[in-house]
Amino acid sequence: MGDLADRRGLETDVYEPAEDSRLLASVAVSRLADARRVLEVGTGSGYVAERMAEETGARVIASDVNPHACVSARERGVEAVRADLVSPFADGAFDAVVFNPPYLPTDPDNEWDDWMERALSGGESGREVIEAFLERVGRVLTSDGRVLLLVSSLAGVSEVVERAGEAGFSAVARADESYPFETLTVVELFY
Amino acid sequence: MKESLLEILCCPLDKHDLELEDAEYEENEVVSGTLICTECGERYPIEDGIPNLLPPDMREGTPA
Repeated sequence: MGDLADRRGLETDVYEPAEDSRLLASVAVSRLADARRVLEVGTGSGYVAERMAEETGARVIASDVNPHACVSARERGVEAVRADLVSPFADGAFDAVVFNPPYLPTDPDNEWDDWMERALSGGESGREVIEAFLERVGRVLTSDGRVLLLVSSLAGVSEVVERAGEAGFSAVARADESYPFETLTVVELFY
Repeated sequence: MKESLLEILCCPLDKHDLELEDAEYEENEVVSGTLICTECGERYPIEDGIPNLLPPDMREGTPA
């Protein structure tokens, strides 16, 4: 991994809020004002979930595969569940699911196998976790539910939108921001 | 976890309902206990208020 990973605090066990977290939180707060129940997958520090809980009327649940992340979210006052993507949530449980996925393309010979890798690495394409998420997320959404997904140019916005289409979603870009290493886009997916 | 969370949780393996056993409460929250699938019987622990609903094959082999 190169500079981008270094820039993001590999010394810690939990992904700390960065530009991508703040962009996703601001879009989520404005788009989900009417949502009743919202899930944040891969909550990391719990920052986005906490912002949604404070700034919308929704009941917010945060999940992460990383136990340190679950503790961090709970310390922020958010209900936390240790989970693999959406697997332990009931059918139709959420009006919205929000996800800032691991998306850095990673050489399989150069994986570093700790919690920070799990938070950052999207496999060789950068899209491995995103693709698994897109295949499964529809089950836990209400019929008019939606997804807010942060997508980096490193993972490929058009490729992600195409995969979302294969999973039955329409997509609209709600915000984007450019940085030296990448452009970040928040994509809203709906049926 | 709040007990009302049970309504939106399910077994990660077969998506059936979960039952709460051996619950200990602090300030209206479940701080420890076990969630058990009503169909397959798989058991999921609640520790320090956080339910661990990883499928059993993911509970090990993850970095500490």
